[in-house]
Amino acid sequence: MFDPYYLQQLAIGLSLGMTYALMAIGFTLIFGVLNVVNFAHGEIYTLGAFAGLVLISATAPPIVAVILGALAIGALAGFSLERIAFKPFRRFTDEASLKSRAMRESTLLSSLAVSIVVREALEIVFGSQMRSVPFEYLINTPVRVGPVILVTGDFIIFGVAAAMLIGLQYLLTRTRVGLAIRAVSNNPLGAKYVGIDTDRTIITTFVVGSMMGAAAGILMGLYYGAVFPAMGFTPGIKAFVAMVMGGLSSIPGAVICALILGISESMATTFVSSGWSDMVAYGFLILTLIFFPNGLFGARRERV
Amino acid sequence: MNAFETAAPADGLSRRRGLLVPALILLLVFAALPALLAGFDKGYFYQIANLALIFVLLSASMHLVTGVAGLLHLGHAAFYGVGAYTAALLTSKLGLGFTVTLPLSGLVAALVAFLVALPTMRLVSIYFAVATLAIGQMLYLVMLNWVDFTKGPNGVIVSKGFELFGVSLSGRLAAYYTVATVVTLSVIAIGRLSHSYYGNALRSIREDDQCADAMGVSTVRLKMEAFTLSAFFAGVAGGLWAHMTGYISPGDFKFSESILILAMVVVGGLGSLPGAVIGALLLILLPEGLRALGDFRNIMVGLVMFLSILLLPKGLLGEVSALRLVRQQLGAAWRTTGPANGKGEGIGWR
Amino acid sequence: MNFRLLTLTTLTAAGIAAGIAGSAFAADTVKLGYQLPLTGDTAQYGQDFRKAAEIALTEFNAAGKPFKVEIVFEDSRSDAKEGTNIARKFVDDKEIVGVLGDFTSGVSMAAAQVYKEAGMPQLSQTASHPDYTKVSKYQFRNIATQAQEGPYNAKWMATKGIKNVAVIAEQTDWGQSVVTGFSDAVKANGGTVAFSEFFNRGLKDYRSLISKIERAKPDAIYTGFFYEDGAQFLKQLQQLGIKTPVYSTSAAYSPKLIELAGGAAEGVHLTSNFLPTDPSPNVQHFVDEWKKRSDGAVPGQFPAQAYDAVRIMLAAVEKASPNPTREKVRDALAQTKDFPGVTGKTSFNADREAEKELVKVEVKGGAFVPVAD
Repeated sequence: MFDPYYLQQLAIGLSLGMTYALMAIGFTLIFGVLNVVNFAHGEIYTLGAFAGLVLISATAPPIVAVILGALAIGALAGFSLERIAFKPFRRFTDEASLKSRAMRESTLLSSLAVSIVVREALEIVFGSQMRSVPFEYLINTPVRVGPVILVTGDFIIFGVAAAMLIGLQYLLTRTRVGLAIRAVSNNPLGAKYVGIDTDRTIITTFVVGSMMGAAAGILMGLYYGAVFPAMGFTPGIKAFVAMVMGGLSSIPGAVICALILGISESMATTFVSSGWSDMVAYGFLILTLIFFPNGLFGARRERV
Repeated sequence: MNAFETAAPADGLSRRRGLLVPALILLLVFAALPALLAGFDKGYFYQIANLALIFVLLSASMHLVTGVAGLLHLGHAAFYGVGAYTAALLTSKLGLGFTVTLPLSGLVAALVAFLVALPTMRLVSIYFAVATLAIGQMLYLVMLNWVDFTKGPNGVIVSKGFELFGVSLSGRLAAYYTVATVVTLSVIAIGRLSHSYYGNALRSIREDDQCADAMGVSTVRLKMEAFTLSAFFAGVAGGLWAHMTGYISPGDFKFSESILILAMVVVGGLGSLPGAVIGALLLILLPEGLRALGDFRNIMVGLVMFLSILLLPKGLLGEVSALRLVRQQLGAAWRTTGPANGKGEGIGWR
Repeated sequence: MNFRLLTLTTLTAAGIAAGIAGSAFAADTVKLGYQLPLTGDTAQYGQDFRKAAEIALTEFNAAGKPFKVEIVFEDSRSDAKEGTNIARKFVDDKEIVGVLGDFTSGVSMAAAQVYKEAGMPQLSQTASHPDYTKVSKYQFRNIATQAQEGPYNAKWMATKGIKNVAVIAEQTDWGQSVVTGFSDAVKANGGTVAFSEFFNRGLKDYRSLISKIERAKPDAIYTGFFYEDGAQFLKQLQQLGIKTPVYSTSAAYSPKLIELAGGAAEGVHLTSNFLPTDPSPNVQHFVDEWKKRSDGAVPGQFPAQAYDAVRIMLAAVEKASPNPTREKVRDALAQTKDFPGVTGKTSFNADREAEKELVKVEVKGGAFVPVAD
């Protein structure tokens, strides 16, 4: 008979993967689909979690209101992030600047700098310790499914991630906004020439992506019961890896790869020491890239 | 290239003037700064000077792969770590001295880089970046978790300071001169590599690798060479750090250090070697200088980084101005060897 | 462009100048240095240490001693680079006669290399690296080492009839010493270690590890973690419905453990050498002062260790005065015997290790309760 232990590890891996996927969706929309190098997504995630926490400790509203609050902060943060760290670099439209490598990578540093400032400010305001979330808000009541134990949060996260994924896929492939986003990512100048308001499209993408990041942040805060300024770092790296492994521009690809990462980590814990389990995940990434140099679900490379 | 040849005067006087800036820099590094340091006689200033120089080397080595060859490298600190661990383990296990460990730390880092590069160098753009991230993290995990060999989180005590063939160089001034000499020689080597036809071939990969490939540039081989060379210099920096502090642990080489080095290269200006040097100096000196601000100093570091990239998006000293500077000041080799007749006899730096 | 460059340069230069100017000082005071993480991921610990040190210092200076003491706090960010920079800075300041800190062993070890060379006494409240005090005769620490705490816990578990244990610890030098200190003692007592593993600090999801531990069917789990990781571990243990008793070290002893883990912390056994409920006046005084400065929160193990470390250092300075020198302060530190601190009586042995008295504690009804066994 199949050892229920492996089933339990598989379930844990899936739930871990879902938490990565939750972060990866918004990240992929901005970084992968819009094709903008953004290193500040982890801080949006943290901001969302802190916004939820502040709301909870201030007024103790129902959980839906907490998430709505986090979404609002996420939208605001995404908007400001775009205005502060990305918009200024679109002032150069001459060909030399567009082709310059330094210009293309400048948002890497501006978003990194913004993320440093945000994280340090959070540390000064809230302190860098873990803050606890009141227990009645936590979404980690155990649920037994056959031989496997999960928690309520796993189902909520699954539901939210699925809704985000389906919603985004619909948005990107079936609506004019989505078409505009893909056009801007493909060729910003061309998009402008055919009458797309590129500025607005980029802002919309940032707002939507950051709302998802903030929602992921507060859900993770409620799931693990701890909120702290550095919480966005590890999921940020995992989301980045999942996005690239999935082929950069494919959101379903990122989600699937996030799940693969989660499962490979939990399964690896069975065979090697927990300290080495990340090694398996990264090894898996390298192998994937060797055999699929454009990611698992990436489009073939286009000529620029 | 003809523009440069005609722009640069060819008479002996200007050739001598052409060496003014490098001579000034050398004078600053080897005479003025040590004199100043000796005048203050503060271990703190020596420490900062040495640390800044080590990061100048790290930043310059990353410049080669990220700035010139245009490959976003997110795991550079790991090779720095491999170098440091090589020096530390050779010293603590075999009792070897700095003279032997320094070249070996570079070579081992280069060897590791070569091995991991073999399967991954065909990757392009962000796929390459994430592969280097994975490689860096894997090397970090090895340093942390392979307790029997690296002593894991316990770190390694390096009992020997700087020396040259048994002659101790561990006095303050001697240590400074050791670091300064190694770093200066390495930066000159990196400069020769990046301001040459070789550097231009690397730049062609950055600008358009498919086009470069079609023109007969062996992009994969060049990428491997750049990656390995850059790891070599990072390893040398690691060897310097290990012997300088006397104790290393895996925490010194984690992901955030890679990001710090990357930030140095970008702040300074991607593709510009003087920029990489300035970026390293800025990001090492600034946090120390801002100690008076207490808990707010890191916010200030972030703000300065942000302002610098906002005001100077191509870096503090961008590639174009850096190239102009280098070619004007070190331009002898770019000029024709015979009479300046515009026939294009320039030999360039090969 | 040059103008912008100039602006940036000026900004930087101004900052550095401010830093140099900031180091002016009064002449009739004795100075101590304290290097600790005030920013970054471990800032919460450093901030607590600073608070504890300020309490100790205010008391000392208010006590009408013939001289005043000033502590220079420098932020190391738990980064070895910055730690060694600070160490050099402290060594340069001829008025500084002793140094406290750092928080993590890695930074303390790197800084220790500098203090060793300069002959500066260094007293860390937390550095747990097995070789820390072996660096030179200038290194002291005010923390129960795992060579002491491990056997103590092993004996405690043996008296409870626990034979087969699982050990997990964070992958740091401290975690390494937790596992070796404890496992050796268990084996010496005739018990068995069914499972032994390290996890990376800051791991969020322990469920895979917990499932793996449970497969080894231990009688109890011995854990080397700090309270933040500990809270996550305990919560997930409860989620998976596992009732195996958990034992831990004094590093997990903090009111934050119960705050973060809630009911999941119930029944955890750990050791400590500080009890905020202890009625003795010096403990109550410290707890009151701490509460005043932290909105009524109760101090945990680490702030108490820092408070004692600072007071031990201050006592050594007093003993070495008038005209304390680094060498005199070191000798005075080495002679510390039965120092009456809030973490019990502290003496330094010949290896400059603190010998601490440990007490057994269990979490009952959402509070730490001392137990006989």
